[in-house]
Amino acid sequence: MVTLDIELGSLKENLLEMLDLVKSQLAKSKKALEQVDIPLAQEVVEREKRVNALELLIDKDCENILALHNPVATDLRFVLSTIKIAGDLESIGDITKALARFIEKSGKKASRTFVDKFQIHSMIEICISMLTDMGEAIQKEDTHLAQKIAKKDSALNEINKNAPGVTSELIKANTDKIELILKLFTITRKLERVGDFIKNIGAEVVFHIEAKVLKHKKG
Amino acid sequence: MNSLTLNRVIDTAFKYVGFLCTLSALGILAIFIINIASEGLSRIDWQFITSLPSRKAEKAGILTAWTGTAWILGLTATISIPLGISAGIYLEEYGKKNRLASIIGVNIANLAGVPSIIYGLLGLEIFGRLFNLGGSLLAGSFTLALLILPIIIVATREALKAVPKTLREASFGLGATKWQTTWHQVLPAGAGGILTGIILALSRVVGETAPLIVIGALAYVPFVPSSPMDEFTVMPMQIFNWISRPQHEFLVNGAAAIIILLLITFIMNGIAIYLRNKWQKKINW
Amino acid sequence: MKIIEAIDVNAYYGDNHALTNINIEIKENTVTALIGPSGCGKSTFLRMLNRMNDYIEGFRNEGTLLIEGKDIYKKKVKLEDLRQHVGMVFQKPNPFPKSIYENVAYGLRIRGVKNEKEVEERVEKSLKKAVLWGEVKDSLDKSAYSLSGGQQQRLCIARTLAVKPSIILMDEPASALDPLSTAKIEELIAELREQYTIVIVTHNMHQASRVSDRTAFFYLGNLIEYGKTSDIFTNPKIKQTENYISGRFG
Repeated sequence: MVTLDIELGSLKENLLEMLDLVKSQLAKSKKALEQVDIPLAQEVVEREKRVNALELLIDKDCENILALHNPVATDLRFVLSTIKIAGDLESIGDITKALARFIEKSGKKASRTFVDKFQIHSMIEICISMLTDMGEAIQKEDTHLAQKIAKKDSALNEINKNAPGVTSELIKANTDKIELILKLFTITRKLERVGDFIKNIGAEVVFHIEAKVLKHKKG
Repeated sequence: MNSLTLNRVIDTAFKYVGFLCTLSALGILAIFIINIASEGLSRIDWQFITSLPSRKAEKAGILTAWTGTAWILGLTATISIPLGISAGIYLEEYGKKNRLASIIGVNIANLAGVPSIIYGLLGLEIFGRLFNLGGSLLAGSFTLALLILPIIIVATREALKAVPKTLREASFGLGATKWQTTWHQVLPAGAGGILTGIILALSRVVGETAPLIVIGALAYVPFVPSSPMDEFTVMPMQIFNWISRPQHEFLVNGAAAIIILLLITFIMNGIAIYLRNKWQKKINW
Repeated sequence: MKIIEAIDVNAYYGDNHALTNINIEIKENTVTALIGPSGCGKSTFLRMLNRMNDYIEGFRNEGTLLIEGKDIYKKKVKLEDLRQHVGMVFQKPNPFPKSIYENVAYGLRIRGVKNEKEVEERVEKSLKKAVLWGEVKDSLDKSAYSLSGGQQQRLCIARTLAVKPSIILMDEPASALDPLSTAKIEELIAELREQYTIVIVTHNMHQASRVSDRTAFFYLGNLIEYGKTSDIFTNPKIKQTENYISGRFG
């Protein structure tokens, strides 16, 4: 086995580990929100350090592979796409940390009705399922799966479209809880961005396997 | 005409000139061989080869002459080959390559060009008189050994020089001593060149007359030599002896002996060429 | 554990000061690449490690060169023992004009191994280690010259392995080979690393980056930089090193 293959194999493992970690962070946040579990939320905040560490590791490994092995063609595209995917995963990790922070500070105050009105739980579920599918797509190098995930992002966008309406409705009815409602609104925005990031990851996977550039295209 | 045409003309002209030269050289050789063969071929028979010389031409044979040549060849080879090869190996592989070494090298090469009769004089004084060997086979062999020693040394050095440095490096790299490297790698690799040189040197020995005359080899030897201290004669001397006689029969004898001598020379050269080719095929760096 | 250590090593070819104050430590079971432009001294340094420079008229050296803790330039050092310990593979494959079997057996025979069975075993083992056994096991008494260039070089490696060295020096081992043979040699180096310490001189920087753990950059007889290969090729500390590896040298 060529040394380069060994390096690339290890890189893929690290990337999937990072993806799984971010996914578990999201799952924990959902549970913490549901059960108002403050220690769990704090755990998620702490764990974010591990996500960052993985991104740095992947960056360094990619740098080394490029410098030492001069990969070309598919191998090169794999390294380039991995750098970007790691960056996207790190951004998702940041958002998850922000969500966990919110739960830490305002979890007790956030009423279940409000959270449900914003459909936050559904959004998180969609994100988790998108990440699961994306993990499989990366593992199996399945570009069809990677592109199908884009459809789930549309569902997120739909929910997000309703958010301003829900916000104004809730504010009119609960003028004493404006800050909380606005915070929840921000969270919906952020969760929508998670969907965008995952869609980007899908485009990178397609770039790696098929050398097609999907980003910045309409649709 | 312009230079392009001129070049073409010169090119074609040389083709013809060269061919003519080759033809003339081969022609002269052919004339010589045919001449000799027509004169002496008929005289060659078993009796001729196995008879002692005699005053009667029909009875005279070259037995003592070719046995003398064989003895001289054998003794000279025994003396000069080990000496020459060892000296060549030392100078090429072991000696320091400084000014003294190059002076020695030049002088040895020069010795190969010294007229052979000078060696005869040297041999007469040192081997014949000082060592008291007289005009024996031993004296003759020592003298001729001195004569061809420079040739063997130079041939050995050239053959060893042709062995690429990388072969020695590979051997040293594995932990071999200088002698192991020389014995197991360099010598076998250079063997073809050394052998070729030796055979050519020996074929020179076959034809040398002057130094042997000087040290006292006799022209008329009616017995086959049986020990190194015996007196002797060799083929060239026998030929010279016969050709100086007025009788036509002796001239025919001479021609026959020349044919035999040529045969020996051609065979020795042929062996040298065969060995060189065989060796060339084995080694290809 | 450091197996090669150079302390203030200087080397001269007559008046030419070829190496200046070289200080370097090479650890066991590593692959170290020596890189640098022509004439920078990397080959000179490599050949000092098994004293092959001794054969060059006018060569002299100063400083201390330790291999496994012993100064190899001390008078009492036996050259033959040193070279059994520190093997060398050369730039142009140089098999002996003998059979494949005898090529590998040569090193054993001259070191006094008489038991024919032992010779046979070690020849087979070395050819297997050099990943050549499969290709030649049925034609061991064919001339070594009947092999291709890449095979000949692997034969030379097998020949070196047969005498059980602990260090293997390689002087641009793949520069005379085609890309496929080069790749095979590089794979072989990666495998050999587990049992041997390898020092390789190479003109090809990509090769250095692919196969080595540590890289030493030589220039005009000086050791400019020495460090982990991944560091040298991603972030060299000295500008000269960066200029050389990025191809900006004059």
